[in-house]
Amino acid sequence: MTPEQQKSGAECREVTGLLVFYVCEEVSDAERRRVETHLRSCEECLQQLAEEEKLAEAVSAMPQTADEVDATGILLSQCRSELAETLDDMSEKVAKPRWEPLGWLRRWMALRPAWSGALLVVFGIAVGTQVVPWLHSVDLEDANGQAMKVMAAPKLSKEQLDNMAVAGVNVLPAADPASATVRLQLSAAQPLEMSGNLEDVGVRRVLTYVVENGQRFDPGVRLDCVDALKAVARDEEVRSALMAAAQKDQVVAVRMKALDALRDSVQEESVREVLIDVLQRDTNPGVRVEAVNLLVRSLGHDSSGAPLSDTLVIVDPANGLENPSVHRAWRALEKLQRQDPSRYVRLRSAAALRQIGPRELQ
Amino acid sequence: MAAVASLPHLDERALVAEAQAGSRAAFEELVRRYDRDVLRLALNLMKRPEDARDVYQEAFLKVYRNLHRFRFECSFYTWLYRIVTNVCLDQLRRRQARPEDQAPELNSAHHEDGITDFFERQREHRATQDPERRLMGGEIRVRIARAMERLSPRERVVFEMKHYQGLKLRAIGDALGTTEETVKNSLFRATRKLRQELGELR
Repeated sequence: MTPEQQKSGAECREVTGLLVFYVCEEVSDAERRRVETHLRSCEECLQQLAEEEKLAEAVSAMPQTADEVDATGILLSQCRSELAETLDDMSEKVAKPRWEPLGWLRRWMALRPAWSGALLVVFGIAVGTQVVPWLHSVDLEDANGQAMKVMAAPKLSKEQLDNMAVAGVNVLPAADPASATVRLQLSAAQPLEMSGNLEDVGVRRVLTYVVENGQRFDPGVRLDCVDALKAVARDEEVRSALMAAAQKDQVVAVRMKALDALRDSVQEESVREVLIDVLQRDTNPGVRVEAVNLLVRSLGHDSSGAPLSDTLVIVDPANGLENPSVHRAWRALEKLQRQDPSRYVRLRSAAALRQIGPRELQ
Repeated sequence: MAAVASLPHLDERALVAEAQAGSRAAFEELVRRYDRDVLRLALNLMKRPEDARDVYQEAFLKVYRNLHRFRFECSFYTWLYRIVTNVCLDQLRRRQARPEDQAPELNSAHHEDGITDFFERQREHRATQDPERRLMGGEIRVRIARAMERLSPRERVVFEMKHYQGLKLRAIGDALGTTEETVKNSLFRATRKLRQELGELR
């Protein structure tokens, strides 16, 4: 393939990915220009655009249930009167919010945003110039170096987990990765924010649940969760979720990230089995190569788990191959070296065999 | 109460503040302003009128119960849409988990005779001059409806909000409490699944 062809292939892929958004006018100006310039010279992508447009047309011609079912507005009236009845029933119970300190202030502020803004700025300056320095001096006197106490995150029930959606996962790094603070924005019955470090059972449970039930969550969220769990991959439950993700997640990036998260647990027998399975069955050559790399690393650990040399590792057939899992790994790599459809994977597994094999085989 | 008499003229912020202060009339005015859109979204997503009615009730009751927590960090409309889409997503997920609970209109798309009552009704209403084109249109509709069932609840909500509610991706992200990028991914996947389903018709 010539460099021009390669370049045009990459361009086609990029433009094809944008066409869905181009058709519904959700591209930036720069993207629009890129698409239009490319379409001028690429018949295939032009054809692709025609297909996207055809679909958009068919979709917009679909009759909408709302027009069909409630063209007359009868359903809307029914809904309104039902709601009014329910509110009548509830009115005594919910007439007043339970506890509303400074409720008058909130209402006043809601109606006067400009005044509220000014007031808050003045308040902020006062706190910043007076209170903070005072607190700082008190802190220095008696709280030298003490960790801040944070409230433990709540533990969600199975039902809440099953109905939960995840809007955001933020990790605030710390010196020790396991004590990084994880902030989760969830919505179960209502929006909920959960915060805690990775030792926190509630936080860990949500992250593990997302990784285990990948199909329900967006790939971006799954990636963030896998990434966060990397620091606690030694935990058995976490590890088994990561292993499942490495084998089954539909998105290549998530499988790669899950493999990476298992990097420090590769000496575990169960992880090694997963690696063997991935390198035999994963459809993506990049993932297979990563599995080969980790398998080499896995075989490069001695029985106590301490890593041997990174550059040259010898599996002694007299000892190593007696272990059935090492034997299977060896066989899998040999098969890969001969049969893998990707040339790069074949080369990498041959190199791996040389790397871990006895010297006389080299 | 002078304020109540002029409720229809109050802006959204003032109305919400009144409702937060406990004014039932202000709350009902808010409902009247937005409930047409809410029911429309619920009907388009749920298909069955009784399910849409449940979504309407549940969503507005949630708004009523939680209004005192609304902090004007986004527009009331965005907050309301977030609640409605969450209620719809919950219902769709529950429905997906219990196949026996699926909408008869959607299920009948699988029947051997193909064209559903739903689509038959469309034909009566929107009959075109060209019978061949009409039949083809019906087939595509069945295929689209069938493909829509294959979408995950979130993909379906994103697709509906984009194509039938005409919302921008950013607004959909706000409503779903997620990023524009995530919404883009869902829309891309949804469109790809639909295209796969419709491939043979082209």
